[in-house]
Amino acid sequence: MSGGGIARGRLAEERKAWRKNHPHGFVAKPETVADGSVNLMVWHCTIPGKQGTDWEGGYFPLTLQFSEDYPSKPPKCKFPQNFFHPNVYPSGTVCLSILNEDSGWRPAITVKQILVGIQDLLDQPNPADPAQTDGYHLFIQDPAEYKKRVRLQAKQYPALI
Amino acid sequence: MASAASEEAVKAAKVLMVGAGGIGCELLKTLALTGFSDIHLIDLDTIEVSNLNRQFLFRKSHVGQSKAHVARDAVLKFRPKINISSYHANVKDAQFNVDFFKQFNVVLNGLDNLDARRHVNRLCLAAEVPLVESGTTGFLGQVTVHVKGKTECYECQPKPVPKSYPVCTITSTPSKFVHCIVWAKDLLFAKLFGDKNQDNDLNVHSKDGSSSKSDVFERDVDEDLDQYARRIYDHVFGYNIEVALDNEETWKNRRRPTPVYIRDTLPEETVQQNGTSRECNNGHEEPSAMASLGFRNPQEIWTLADNSRVFLETLKLFFEKRQKEIGNLIFDKDDQLAVELVTSAANIRAHSFGIPLHSLFEAKGVAGNIVHAVATTNAMIAGLIVIEAVKVLQGDYKNYRMTYCLEHAKRKMLLMPVEPFEPNESCYVCSETPLLLDVNTKTTKLREVIDKIIKSKLGMNLPLVMIGSTLVFEDGDGLEEDEAANYALNLEKVLAELPAPVINGTKLTVEDFQQELSCSINIKHREEFDEEKEPDGMVLSGWSAPVEKQVTSNGGKLAASSSSAHDTVGDASANPGTKRKLDEVLESKENCDASSSAQVIEDDDDTIMLDEDPTLLKKKRSQ
Repeated sequence: MSGGGIARGRLAEERKAWRKNHPHGFVAKPETVADGSVNLMVWHCTIPGKQGTDWEGGYFPLTLQFSEDYPSKPPKCKFPQNFFHPNVYPSGTVCLSILNEDSGWRPAITVKQILVGIQDLLDQPNPADPAQTDGYHLFIQDPAEYKKRVRLQAKQYPALI
Repeated sequence: MASAASEEAVKAAKVLMVGAGGIGCELLKTLALTGFSDIHLIDLDTIEVSNLNRQFLFRKSHVGQSKAHVARDAVLKFRPKINISSYHANVKDAQFNVDFFKQFNVVLNGLDNLDARRHVNRLCLAAEVPLVESGTTGFLGQVTVHVKGKTECYECQPKPVPKSYPVCTITSTPSKFVHCIVWAKDLLFAKLFGDKNQDNDLNVHSKDGSSSKSDVFERDVDEDLDQYARRIYDHVFGYNIEVALDNEETWKNRRRPTPVYIRDTLPEETVQQNGTSRECNNGHEEPSAMASLGFRNPQEIWTLADNSRVFLETLKLFFEKRQKEIGNLIFDKDDQLAVELVTSAANIRAHSFGIPLHSLFEAKGVAGNIVHAVATTNAMIAGLIVIEAVKVLQGDYKNYRMTYCLEHAKRKMLLMPVEPFEPNESCYVCSETPLLLDVNTKTTKLREVIDKIIKSKLGMNLPLVMIGSTLVFEDGDGLEEDEAANYALNLEKVLAELPAPVINGTKLTVEDFQQELSCSINIKHREEFDEEKEPDGMVLSGWSAPVEKQVTSNGGKLAASSSSAHDTVGDASANPGTKRKLDEVLESKENCDASSSAQVIEDDDDTIMLDEDPTLLKKKRSQ
């Protein structure tokens, strides 16, 4: 099995659907390797911070790693290491119910829904499910400092143009 | 027929009609009168004067407007309470995707081209919506039913492609009028007014080395137009024939052609003679040699001298009135001046070769592959579509029929019903059987596979090419610059050197951005190809190739063509995986040659004729 039938077929569909229509400001594309091949199993994405929130102005890089078991299993979604957010592990992995095979994941969830779901999560962290101490503590204990850190981080990820 | 159950099914149904032309007008009317009340209609065309004789929902005042919208409005006038949604758009547009198709209970085709038919077939398969497909050509027509998993899809059986002729027949040894037309249109017209860089087999070298020009078709800036026209005339009808005559071998068993020179055909006419009459043809009207020479009747057969006059005049008019277009013109049957040039040139050539001359009307028919539409056929076919649609809506699949409309009754039947065939197990469109491609993976570029196989054979428009989960090519919208640039580089790489190497045993997956079709192609590396038999340098197997040889289904020829119809069916059965119910094959062979191979693919006057035999046209007209 070189690259899986079901996962590949579904990812090709996701790719086409995204090319035809996707939310403004978002980027999602399969990884282009130096040799010119395009790997459907890894997607490089950008999530824009929502307007009117402290995340506005930031364009946050996110990587989706799909397995051969996709779409039975969800992709692994990673921000850069040490990304500041209560529900992001120090490794950068996003902790979100719809991305959890044992709770909210359903094979019908599309790449678009994942990315929009993560955009929502940015400004609406889930304190019931902390993934890092730094972000969690500030969010609970020092809202002013939390806000400052979020705005600073948004400046660290400007639009790539 | 109108049982309570069928009435219910009709009332509840949501149907999509593709095409609002000859069949479409009849169909929309019949649907509305049958009780259908939710109809969606797509057509990209606008109404033309030539449609009005049979597309009866349209009037002269509608010329230039959308067929879909006008047809909708016309039917709403007598059935104001039903819903008709019209789309003035191409069915291949992205908005008509699988989800769009899924909302319908049945799709009804009244299309006029193979490409759109294939597209709709693929979307119906993907959306799992039954398709009732139709077509007419003159007196002939057919309605077929395509339901995924139950009957064959539109592409399970090979479709005829327009006939092509051997180059040498066209360039040196024409024996039918159609050969002269092809010569005039594809060689002479293309050489005079088309893209100069295109390959063209017309001899352009003059006899005397004295001329500095390598191409006699080039006109010097200061060359007198009359002089030029006469020079071209003498070159193509005189000198080129003399050159051909030099090759004695060619004429051993053939009638020798006669060179024709302008000094012989129009001995008394002097250079300025056409000048005055051309004055009245002022810029407002479309330039026409017939108009400036005072020829009125397009059905009249001109003499050699008249053809010569028309030829010279068209050449001059092109240079005088349409100078800007020269160099990028393509023959168009609706371009009066182009038809005049092609008619006159074909006739002069026909004269050389002892072939009977034809009128402009006839020549236009041959050149434009026109079969004149018959309104009654369209009406009958539309009725049959509705009958099948009602069966489909009731799930009455045991009674589905393909119905062929014949020109002459056979066994006292004009309409020949045939039970539908089962899906072709090796159909690359509706089955999942992989295709096999023999190709030299060390020398063949990705671009060649895409152009020669994926686009021209599999009929995809915007392909995605994958090896496992590695994409090596995508086409269409929504690509970023860097992505597009990367794919452009991949196109020029040979298969074995692609980032994911394509070598013996590799399985390619090919999808289309719009069509929702996915095929697998197994690659077999092979170094030697027969240049004559395998000119592409690659061979695709496991798909149904278009049948090159046309089996005409026209009336009087039925008996004569039945043997070749046998052949076609036989070939199909010999294909691995092509299983058809034998009794049905036999039945269809016996009853109706048209059903087994000669699918009529077009509708309307803008029809591509399946067989370019001009006798067919003549026969039709004489009735």
